[in-house]
Amino acid sequence: MKKRLKIISRVMQLSMLGVAIAGPLTGNMTWLLAALFSLFISEVPSILRRDFRMVLPIGLNFWLVLALFLHVVGGYSGFYDNVAGWDHLTHAMTSSLMAALGFIVVVSVDKYMDSIRLPPAFLAVFIVMFTMAIGVSWELMEYAVDVLTGSHLQYSLDDTMIDLFFDSFAGLAVAAAGSYYLRTKSPDHFIEALNIEGATASLTDMRKKLG
Amino acid sequence: MALFFSTVYLVIRLDIMWAAFGASALCLLILPIIMTRDPFKAPPWEMALILVIPVFLHISSAWDPAEGAPMWWDDLTAIAFSLAFATVGFLLTVELQLYTDVRMNGSFALFFVFMFTVAAAGFWKVFEYVGGLVTGDPTIGDNADVMIFFVWTFVGGALMGVIYDLYVKALPESRKRALGFTRPQEVTE
Repeated sequence: MKKRLKIISRVMQLSMLGVAIAGPLTGNMTWLLAALFSLFISEVPSILRRDFRMVLPIGLNFWLVLALFLHVVGGYSGFYDNVAGWDHLTHAMTSSLMAALGFIVVVSVDKYMDSIRLPPAFLAVFIVMFTMAIGVSWELMEYAVDVLTGSHLQYSLDDTMIDLFFDSFAGLAVAAAGSYYLRTKSPDHFIEALNIEGATASLTDMRKKLG
Repeated sequence: MALFFSTVYLVIRLDIMWAAFGASALCLLILPIIMTRDPFKAPPWEMALILVIPVFLHISSAWDPAEGAPMWWDDLTAIAFSLAFATVGFLLTVELQLYTDVRMNGSFALFFVFMFTVAAAGFWKVFEYVGGLVTGDPTIGDNADVMIFFVWTFVGGALMGVIYDLYVKALPESRKRALGFTRPQEVTE
């Protein structure tokens, strides 16, 4: 299962690379930057693993690459304009991803900062609010780009609202999954799996070397 | 008291969302009194004032929404709204701290107030939108209107996060004790 997810991730990265190469060849430059940037982001977990010894769960890694893949390849193929609901799909995926990353951050904060204590019920609320806040910031960013460059990232109020609706849905889903996870397995297990301790240790190493 | 009567008024008018806002703001204001059984341990009056302003603005514009409202009216209500929601977020932070297991430090509380305000604005608009679809009477204008609203809550939320952080630091010790109010990091078991 893990192997298969890894292979699929690689295939998706390859197709993003394909978009990055095909873009300049066919004169379609719109998605070149997005493809390159997404490729870089999809490599971030490996960079974290190599330099900071931090391990993201393989499922989350897969989800990250899948979201980027759908965005870049779908965008290049014109799915945003031709396939109904495509942007809602990618929106729900990216916002669930943000929610999952937010979940990792708050669980780690809860564990490693003595002055902060966040019970699971509060964590769930936090995740839902966090996802919605990210969603709103995202829409604001789209609006800002539209106003500054005259592009059309936002189609209409209906689209924006459905985006936000999906955001809140994704936030709820991750909050539910997260609290289920924390109830069945202890947070310590989760933290150990991420190897955050190793990550902070290598960070202090680096700081020592620099200072 | 003003908040109480406006909430009753909103319930009577079946203005569900604003009634819900008024009710939750009231709960947050009254909760310390109930928990400590001391009628003077209420949150500071400044906060009650900030909470009631958007409700009043809403009520007064509800009489005649289309006519005579000046250009800056929407911006004004948006700012009042963001300040009020930041206040709700702040009261929530303090009361979570006082009455539950949740512990935050100053910077986390600051971030939480900001995040809470932005997210609340998002949920608010989605609910308004869905409400508009259900009643067939859309009330939130076009995309740009909503975005301007979000910009104000974004700015207002960030600002109020910082202001409340400074506010609790600046609050005189005597008043703090009288109100039963503490800085997030000063709460101990």
